[in-house]
Amino acid sequence: MAESKSSAVFRYAVVLFMLCVYVLPLFYLFNVAMKTQIEYLKSPIGLFEQFRFNNFRTAWNQGDFSRYIWNSVLYTSVTTAASILLSLFAAFPIARRYVRFSNLIYLFFTMSLFLPSPLVPQFWLASQLGLYNTQWGYMLLRTGGTGIAFLMFVGYIKSVSKELDEAAAMDGCGYLRFIFRILFPLVKPVLATGVMLTAIGVWNDIIGPTIYLSDTKYQPITKGLFAFFGQYLNNWPLLACGIMIIAAPLVVLYSFIQRYLVSGALAGSVKF
Amino acid sequence: MYPFGRGIARHLPLALLMIPLLLYVVFAFGPSMATVFFSFTDATGIPGVRWHFVGFDNYRKLLFSSDQAERLRSIRNSLEFAFLVVVIQNAIGLFMAVLLNRKLKGDAFYRATFFLPVVLGVTVSGLVWRMMLNPMSGPMGELFKMFGTRSNFLSSYDAAFYWIIFVQIWMYMGYSMTIFIAGLQSIPRDLYDSGHIDGASGWKAFRYITFPMIAPAVTVNTLLSIIGALQTFDIIYVLTNGGFNTRTLALDVYRDAIANNTTADYGLASAGAMVLFLFVFVFTVVFMYLLRRREVDL
Repeated sequence: MAESKSSAVFRYAVVLFMLCVYVLPLFYLFNVAMKTQIEYLKSPIGLFEQFRFNNFRTAWNQGDFSRYIWNSVLYTSVTTAASILLSLFAAFPIARRYVRFSNLIYLFFTMSLFLPSPLVPQFWLASQLGLYNTQWGYMLLRTGGTGIAFLMFVGYIKSVSKELDEAAAMDGCGYLRFIFRILFPLVKPVLATGVMLTAIGVWNDIIGPTIYLSDTKYQPITKGLFAFFGQYLNNWPLLACGIMIIAAPLVVLYSFIQRYLVSGALAGSVKF
Repeated sequence: MYPFGRGIARHLPLALLMIPLLLYVVFAFGPSMATVFFSFTDATGIPGVRWHFVGFDNYRKLLFSSDQAERLRSIRNSLEFAFLVVVIQNAIGLFMAVLLNRKLKGDAFYRATFFLPVVLGVTVSGLVWRMMLNPMSGPMGELFKMFGTRSNFLSSYDAAFYWIIFVQIWMYMGYSMTIFIAGLQSIPRDLYDSGHIDGASGWKAFRYITFPMIAPAVTVNTLLSIIGALQTFDIIYVLTNGGFNTRTLALDVYRDAIANNTTADYGLASAGAMVLFLFVFVFTVVFMYLLRRREVDL
């Protein structure tokens, strides 16, 4: 389609403006992270004088991040792996109608989106079951096979030909082996997105740990950053370093798999 | 037909499905249902104290107690938050999706950038904006100064709530945009070509081809953002923790249930959760009806 010059200019102008709205805050974050406290106080929004990567080490030590970060790594890896596995266990038979009432179960799982907040009874139950303020308890509460990854798997598996199942079964492949050896590699595009969205949810969770993990030695990095924030309220350079340290792992992960995301794996499969 | 064997092997799918099903029933569905029950009791967080059924007392307390003004403001805030977020986020999301769907240098980079706040998460995004909006030394303050005005941003009784809405939209616009782009990419190109012959281009092409064709994406985006906006409170927790007139129903539920540990009021919090559910339910049903009807009309 031919396009007039003025409308092309308009489009680039809009995109450039939006880019500023998104990139400038992050650049500002980096800018502040590279300053000393004095430099920041003298000129809070001026450009930093030199790279001071040592600031990261200072923030890491003063915020006691090494303690928090292992909790985050533990929670994120375990609950993401478990949730993805359970999502496959749930999505495959439902997409294929290998269990009775598949559609009803699907509807039942998606209902949680609309239902009343389970917060109060869940908290009560967790206390009764001894899950409160334990690492396993928190991970158990965060694990589920019915979230966004499940929805995406169902949508994707439906698009995979059922003849594959039959051919594999003919060759003597069992149900579990099929899931792990054949289905798993097959769903890679949605797997990447599913893993990332699930991991984002756990890594960034701030409310969950606030409710369920009162002991600081069990708390993840989000709580650590928040505590750090309260403690060094005016030391913005240190805080900026802390924020960047927390954001880094997911941003790195994201840079590797964002092409899957944009391919629409996320969107195409979220259907009601 | 189930191909993977007979007999005991036939029950493996159900057996494996039982694990997520059980987790869901015990920790999500069950507690959701139990909220109704809790909302009619005087349950508190204090161990050893007996509970009683108190009828509609919690609902009465929620709407007509001494802090009535605060409570009603929470409800009004929830509705205003949802309305503004749904309209603005989806309008910008759709606009950017249409813009980026055409050939544009570096479009993959733009999409990735607009989606980035979702990856950064609420804690990081929230704290970044607390820096940006710091009234003493933040860059937004300087920007306002250039225009000869000033604001306390997140410490302003009038403006804080709207800054939270701004940050919320900043965070999730990319999500809406991604869903819209997927919808746009499913439109066959020749529809536009034949539309062009019939004289439909520019706005007309958008109005009569694009918009009807992305009806499913509109439905998904509208519902997800309505539900999300009504139930979200983590962004408020990070930005103001409910100060400066920024409480919403969802935040109140959390505060009543957990935040004030000594005075945790399970009954009151559950009643709040039920009122919130009523809004979610009504809006979802109404919009589902309206949007589905539009999809069928094609």
